[in-house]
Amino acid sequence: MVPESQAAVVARNETWTGQAATEPYEAGWAREAIIFVRALRSAGIAGRAHVELSPDGMNWVAEGTTFALPHDANKVTYARLTQFGNWLRIRAELPEGSSVTVVVTIHVKA
Amino acid sequence: MPSVSSDDLRRAIQHADPRLSRFDPLSRIICFDDFDRGFCGWTQLVGNYEHSLDSMLPGYAQHSQAMLSTLPSWDFGSHGSADGSYALKIAAKAYKGAQNVSIKRLTFRKRGPIRIEFYFTFKPEANELRLSETDVRSVGFLYDLQVGDGDSDAFRIMPHLRFLNALDGQHMQKWQFKRRTTPFKSLGTENKTVTHYHLSPDDWEDIPGGSQRLCYNEIPTKVNWHYGCFDFDLATMQATGFRCNDRVFDLKGYEPIKIPAMRNLWCMLNFAFFVESDTDKRSFMYLDSVCVSGDF
Repeated sequence: MVPESQAAVVARNETWTGQAATEPYEAGWAREAIIFVRALRSAGIAGRAHVELSPDGMNWVAEGTTFALPHDANKVTYARLTQFGNWLRIRAELPEGSSVTVVVTIHVKA
Repeated sequence: MPSVSSDDLRRAIQHADPRLSRFDPLSRIICFDDFDRGFCGWTQLVGNYEHSLDSMLPGYAQHSQAMLSTLPSWDFGSHGSADGSYALKIAAKAYKGAQNVSIKRLTFRKRGPIRIEFYFTFKPEANELRLSETDVRSVGFLYDLQVGDGDSDAFRIMPHLRFLNALDGQHMQKWQFKRRTTPFKSLGTENKTVTHYHLSPDDWEDIPGGSQRLCYNEIPTKVNWHYGCFDFDLATMQATGFRCNDRVFDLKGYEPIKIPAMRNLWCMLNFAFFVESDTDKRSFMYLDSVCVSGDF
């Protein structure tokens, strides 16, 4: 059997301002992940995304990877990850007055 | 040597197979999904839209992809599933009334009896040191069916069934069905896409004698697995039986949602599981395995 692989849309058409985060996503079966953020529309200045890990899906800690949120419609940014344990999410920070409407997709592979 | 019927032989082989002996499938297994093998074709129920995602009804916009989970908890670690490490996890967001749905989409070959059997459990997110037994509103199951394009009875049929665990903080613990959906709404401008919200919180009705106290366990991180089995006849489009663990329920008053056939859904055989939150806390439904079978 080929190794498991999955594309999970964890945020769709969500508009982020200020502080935001994706829902906790469990992927303990996977050895690697890429988190894509696609902008559907935006306003103001681009924000940043921070990858976070968790021991329990409730308490979160920075993994260390940060990347720019996409700013123009249909632009995509991403982060590559390994050794993330089980829980994954991204936290977003946007400057005051800025917003971005996103589709966030996690691609995970065993 | 005594003769053995093919049915007896089939049952003997199934009972000798540890993967199948805890199920009672009909003569043909349509799918056997053990989530230790992966997602097995279970995906997110995404709402309909046309031209813009903004046209999606809010009830569907909240949905997200199911996960493979070992049921890890903060206080002891992974719980594991009924016969392995992984279960399919459907997670509703942390607000009262939130829902999420996972679905598998097939078509049927013959309009006859079908059976879905599943091992399931549910819990809220364990973010309080309390029993939290009334934080999950419900877990449930639905079929989304449509007759074949050559059939004379042009209907789409949606049998729904849920275990109403709690409502507005009251511990209800009873099985319900619904026979009504919301009015159809056109989406976009091409006259090709419509939507309706069959999982709206309205119009749920009690199954007579449908109260059941399930094993919930004693803290919010311990789970026990339950067995469910729902029988439906695609020929008559009527439910014919439901059992959960040791209880068999009378479905005499049961009716599915019945709506006119839609032009792109012939022979549709979709099955879906859903979970709803009753408080501002995430709610989780877990499926260890699902076996769908039919007589054909």
